[in-house]
Amino acid sequence: MATLELNGLGHVYENGHVGLSGIELNIRDGEFLALLGPSGSGKTTLLRTIAGFLRPTSGSLAIDGKTMAGEGTWVPPEKRGLGMVFQDHAIWPHLNVAGNVGYPLKLAGVPKTQLNGRVAEVLEQVGLAEYARRKPSALSGGQRQRVALARAIIASPKALLLDEALSALDEPLRARLRLELRALTREEGLTAVHVTHDRAEALGLADRVAVLRDGMIQQVGTPAELLETPVNSFVASFVSDATLFPGTLVDGNFHADHPGLRLPMGSGSQRNHGTRLIGQPLASGSRSRRAVAAVAPTSVRLKPAGSPIHVDNLAGGPLARVTSALYGRHGYETSLDWAGATLRVLVTGWTPKEGDMVRPLVDQAHVFCEEAGAVQGRAA
Amino acid sequence: MSTHTLDKAAVAQKAATDRASSAGCDTAAPKPPRRGGRPGDGLSVLRTVVWVLMALVVGLPLAALVFQGVQPAARQVFGDPAVAVAAINSVASALGSALLATLAGAVLAVLLERCNIPSRNVLRWLVLLPFLIPPFIGAMSWMALLGANGPVNKALQGLGIDAKLSIFGGWGVVFLLAVHSYPMAYLVIAATLRRIPGNLEEAARISGAGTSQVLGTVLLPLLRPGLLAAFVLTLVANLSDFGIPALIGLPERYTTLTTLVYRYLASSTTSNPLPAVAAIGLLLLVLAVLVVLAQRKLPADTQLGSGPVGQRLSLGGVRIPLTVLLWVSTIIICLVPLFALASQALLPAPGVPLTWENLSMENIVRVATSAGAISGIENSLRLAGGAAVCCTVLGLGIALLLTRGKHRSNTALDVSATLPQALPGLVIAVGWLLIAPMLGIFNTPWVILGAYVMAFLALVVQSVRAPLASVSSTLEEAARSSGASPLRALLDVTTRLAAPAALTGGVVVLLTAVRELTISILLVAPGTQTLGVSIFNLQQAGDYGGASALALLVAMAGILGLSATAALANRRANN
Repeated sequence: MATLELNGLGHVYENGHVGLSGIELNIRDGEFLALLGPSGSGKTTLLRTIAGFLRPTSGSLAIDGKTMAGEGTWVPPEKRGLGMVFQDHAIWPHLNVAGNVGYPLKLAGVPKTQLNGRVAEVLEQVGLAEYARRKPSALSGGQRQRVALARAIIASPKALLLDEALSALDEPLRARLRLELRALTREEGLTAVHVTHDRAEALGLADRVAVLRDGMIQQVGTPAELLETPVNSFVASFVSDATLFPGTLVDGNFHADHPGLRLPMGSGSQRNHGTRLIGQPLASGSRSRRAVAAVAPTSVRLKPAGSPIHVDNLAGGPLARVTSALYGRHGYETSLDWAGATLRVLVTGWTPKEGDMVRPLVDQAHVFCEEAGAVQGRAA
Repeated sequence: MSTHTLDKAAVAQKAATDRASSAGCDTAAPKPPRRGGRPGDGLSVLRTVVWVLMALVVGLPLAALVFQGVQPAARQVFGDPAVAVAAINSVASALGSALLATLAGAVLAVLLERCNIPSRNVLRWLVLLPFLIPPFIGAMSWMALLGANGPVNKALQGLGIDAKLSIFGGWGVVFLLAVHSYPMAYLVIAATLRRIPGNLEEAARISGAGTSQVLGTVLLPLLRPGLLAAFVLTLVANLSDFGIPALIGLPERYTTLTTLVYRYLASSTTSNPLPAVAAIGLLLLVLAVLVVLAQRKLPADTQLGSGPVGQRLSLGGVRIPLTVLLWVSTIIICLVPLFALASQALLPAPGVPLTWENLSMENIVRVATSAGAISGIENSLRLAGGAAVCCTVLGLGIALLLTRGKHRSNTALDVSATLPQALPGLVIAVGWLLIAPMLGIFNTPWVILGAYVMAFLALVVQSVRAPLASVSSTLEEAARSSGASPLRALLDVTTRLAAPAALTGGVVVLLTAVRELTISILLVAPGTQTLGVSIFNLQQAGDYGGASALALLVAMAGILGLSATAALANRRANN
């Protein structure tokens, strides 16, 4: 149970590849933080840097205020007092379950009887009380994962690091372990850092999520913040599957390059109604700027092609053709070919068919001006 | 060359795995239950041809050995105390050298593969050097280095130290066998080490383990199967080496089974040496099979996950001293004897001081133009070339049968193809010696050729098998659905894909056979003297200059040839 402070942390690999750069992150005591990003975004690199398997090439890392890595300081992984769960469990095949779980305490020199007691206690906690004498080869995937978890928490680590810890498991089991993991970390008040590429998992489990791309943090925020106020188009498209439309921002009004996209106009204000403008507000009278509108699949309604249109400025716009409709838990995940742009829409209430012609109506969009000038992820 | 040794390891384990299940499977293959293919679809023709050849090349010699070895006349040999002494010496020297080799191989593998030793790539090549040189040439190098007039004893004399270092005797045999087998142990252990996923070590680190604790509690326990395989492999190989005990042991009357058999065959005092020789061959066969079976009984390989290998272990303060120690011992063990051999080859006579003016090509020119050496080179090239061609074709056929389609006779085929490699060379030589008169090829080069094919066939089978097994059978099915017959699909797709690996295997056979000594010397007849035998005879006759000149050429050719083959094979594997 501790805080983690990362200041300007960077890692450049020997081959010159930049793994991380300028990572600013404060993880609070008892917080569950998810590191989310596509593959190659640096989330695992960041976790391994915290663990101590990688040495940062710049910046510093402190656990509970004590510097672990930084100018002239280096604490090897075995002295950091952390617990870690690896993607493919990393259960030692030559030790039985109790041997695996008790290993950290054995190294710490805990007396035998006390060690056995604590092993039993932790195995109880993860639901493996009867498995102490089993060999790892006799365990199922989920049981191995629980052994790995028990081993990671037995020595009351300052923080629990989870590296794609649930990715190797099948879906129903994964969902169950997700809940157990959350309950366990709450109960123990553990600070946890969880690397995942699964958006639903990150949003569902974490108190806060840090979205990474190309070794840089794009945004840190609660799941709701990421969905409602993404700071840039990458976060919007990665987290909520938004379709991006480039365009121009003139006097606070967004004009898409795409012939069909019209963001509804508000009457009272200069702004588009239902549009969140993100970025520096324009000084009045300044020239137009390039911008990007992100349209989430849930912000689009589809009208049948023949239905009357009440909004004047939509008349004459191009129709969209349904190219695929996949049935999902929340509705049909539908892809449209809309005058060359591929628009993703979540359809509920009716069944879209391939080849259907529809007219998309965009209710809401996030507009990001000049990506370079967009607000950087706020490190809390 | 690394593939070659690993194959050997695989063979040893595989043979052990399969032997139990396939006892008595040597009978003719039952009719295969065919799926889709018509009778006579080519594959069954191939299977019949392969089985006939295998019965001839592998089955017959072993059957003859077992049959002859259990005759009453043969068993009398065990009453001979000389045989008992030789057997004890063989087992003791093989055990001792295998232990030393495994220990050295393990230390080197951990240091060079997993620790942050600087210059480890150069060191890795250097420590594998003894592997590229035939053991008897290694023995000659050490004799040159530690001979009475050798550089070391000269230097000791110069310092006023009277003690003379000598390599001869039992300890010398153990030491040299270890020197020539530790690279094999290294390769086997390093391969196991590479299969240990790094996160097993990282999990120990994050649990609070330092470098030495990671080594002791995670790496070493996981390495145990590899250590065992390396031990068994070097044990079997050292059980029947001829060159080292003959050159190093015999002068001190240290006899092993191999040198004893050689003496029986070479001396004219025994009227019919064959029963005695067959009995000794059978004894070694039983020993080898027991060793391999014993390994099978011990706990098998623990299941390891897959994953990238862990980070290099930091040695901390001992890093530089260890590196220096490694360099010094590597230079002494791997390079200095070679230099001694070279200087002996380049000096006109033993004892002539080593100066630039004294160096001459005289020995090399003399030996290279002598009739004996030329015929030896010619014989060896012809035999090794023939063996390489036979092994490549037969090995490719076997590998195709083993990887394509399931068949009840596959296990038996696998065992008979790979078993000979786990057998001491002496066993193979004696088997062929026994069947040669029956086949009417006694005292001809064909005996040696047959024994070479039996001994080295597994090299090709193993080198083809791995790549062939990874070729998806859908490639062949694609050819079938495009209209190719089963045989045509096999030839057009699978055989084509396997050909490069088979060729590499064939080259390794060529390079191994061309410098072979143990089999050749037991089967040699007037006019069929091979290169190894020529060198050995020159050395025995006291022509050290000539012998080392020829040996130097062989050593150089081996180092260059095997390094190049390994590099090519690696490059292809990486592509």
